[in-house]
Amino acid sequence: MRNDAAGLLLPAARPGTCLADVAPGWLSVAHDALRCPDTAADRAAQPPLSGVIGERSFEAHPSVRADGTVVWWLVDDTDHRLVREALHMERERTAFLAKVSSMLLSSLNLGRCMDVTAQMAADNLADAALVIAPAQGPQLPVVTCLRGGHPVLSHESVDPDDVPGLGEALRGFPPVPSRWIDPAAAPEWMVPEGFGPIGSIVVTPLPGHGVPAGALVLLRRSQTAAFTEGEEVFARLFAARAGAAMSAARLYAEQASITEILMRELLPPSLHQISGVDFAGGYRPSMDHDRVGGDFYDVHPAVVDGEASLVALGDVCGKGLEAAVLTGKIRNTLHALLPLADDHQRMISLLNTALLNSHHTRFATLVLASAVRKGNAVDLRLTSAGHPRPLILRASGAVEEARTHGTLVGALPNVPTHTAALTLAPGESCVLYTDGITEAKGGPMGGTQFGDERLQRALSECAGMPSESIVERIQMLASQWVGDGSHDDMAVVVISAPRTRHLSAVNGHTRGRFTA
Amino acid sequence: MTMMPSARLRLTTVDTEATVRIELRGDLDYDNADRLLAAVTGQLAGRPRLEHLHLHCAGLGTVDSMGLSVLLMIHRRTGEAGVRLHLDDRTARLDRLLTITGTLEHLTASPNGAASSPAGAGESPKNSAEARAARPTGPDGTT
Repeated sequence: MRNDAAGLLLPAARPGTCLADVAPGWLSVAHDALRCPDTAADRAAQPPLSGVIGERSFEAHPSVRADGTVVWWLVDDTDHRLVREALHMERERTAFLAKVSSMLLSSLNLGRCMDVTAQMAADNLADAALVIAPAQGPQLPVVTCLRGGHPVLSHESVDPDDVPGLGEALRGFPPVPSRWIDPAAAPEWMVPEGFGPIGSIVVTPLPGHGVPAGALVLLRRSQTAAFTEGEEVFARLFAARAGAAMSAARLYAEQASITEILMRELLPPSLHQISGVDFAGGYRPSMDHDRVGGDFYDVHPAVVDGEASLVALGDVCGKGLEAAVLTGKIRNTLHALLPLADDHQRMISLLNTALLNSHHTRFATLVLASAVRKGNAVDLRLTSAGHPRPLILRASGAVEEARTHGTLVGALPNVPTHTAALTLAPGESCVLYTDGITEAKGGPMGGTQFGDERLQRALSECAGMPSESIVERIQMLASQWVGDGSHDDMAVVVISAPRTRHLSAVNGHTRGRFTA
Repeated sequence: MTMMPSARLRLTTVDTEATVRIELRGDLDYDNADRLLAAVTGQLAGRPRLEHLHLHCAGLGTVDSMGLSVLLMIHRRTGEAGVRLHLDDRTARLDRLLTITGTLEHLTASPNGAASSPAGAGESPKNSAEARAARPTGPDGTT
């Protein structure tokens, strides 16, 4: 027996024919199993049968009638199944895109991003993929990857405008859709060696953050199916993620190179003895690796022997490039003002004028120190412009604050300062430092500032030590205090009058009579 | 009275026509000093008849160089607008920072040149009267 719908579905199944002859195998097997009483008992527990008849798929629900015959209700679930498959594919694609994003964003290296993009595209979207970056000079960087292979970088001296769609994709503007190109028109460099005949080829732009990130070229062999519309949309989603990652990597590379150039320019000099005065300096930049520090120091030896050398140590407000630019400005200005180094107040006023700006109140605090050897002692003039006072370490171990004070530079129209003059006996030192040391947070409980008192106590134990050892000692103590915690820039400069031994020298009271 | 919720810096504004008081609680540092500047700039722009800006500093934690920079900028802006800036109830730490950097007098001097009362000494009777007269404002007082 059959109803009309069954007649359409299984036209061969007329009453009286054997089921196995007219119905698909999966249905007749189930039918036979159902007539066996053992399995019939637990049939309710089984999931509904399903199978394909012709081009559509069906769920089959049997109901056994009292006379032992079975009625099969066939329910068409083709659409349901298609939706499920689409959902499954969508989930796979989403998972793939998430994987793409996490793999690409874990690297800020442009070359690595191109490699990952090419490899993932080749393995998931096509038989081979090319990632082409915007030209650097006359050459196009191209990463090629075959499915299952490794990405290979090459540089092609070609004109991208020769390939339809590629020039526009690399310029990034105006935005262009993916473009199919005639496989026969693909230039030789686009086809990986041993790839075979190309079936389809599509060029997709990689959109970046306002800058073109490059283009993605997908190739399929002629025996592989061409791209469906869904696959093309998917390729564009992939390209959007890859482009974002590549342009982020490019911007990062630019920033990193700017930072590196500035850092090289801003690194403090290595110090040594100049004209009978010992100078030592140490600088520990903040752990924020990609940030240029705001601390600086310089030592400018006297042009004429017997005149004072000038030390400048300071701390610029803020972080990053803006702080770095301000630091560079201050160091250059002070260098230019060296002929006026005798007059600290004038130097600081002129520096202040040079830095004043109506747009912001970014400032710097600094200490100027003029040091000159007089006999076996060192005469010092110290001026603080809003900076923590220098500490004087006497031979006895006493630590004094230099009596200088003044106003920070770069924010206020007037910057009055008061200069302190003092003398260092042999073995005595003057310590200039930035607040990165005293404000370093750490200690046994964490979160406690290193503080002025602790610094002064530590210094008093350094009495008589050479300048370099004092710098090392302070840096070590501050580092230990901070432990693994983060800290600001820390800079220290120590100016010392060298311990001297009287020489059985021949004549006069010149500096040559003593050794440092 | 309006609040700006923030983990690190909370600004509470109470104002009258001629006086704005902003209570600072938390750190005034690199990460959030700009918010105070924006709040003050907004008050200056929105209140042409403003005469006094009180920043209550008793609840201030760390003030770093960016925080000080913003205080200097606020002083500059209030000066340009003819508004008197008061840093009230300064903590010892804030006073120390202002002293070392040589900015205490600049930031606390009255227009006739004399420095205002030192930290912790509280407000003058006139300021207290203003405080009593201060009325809470609605959302229009949002900073």
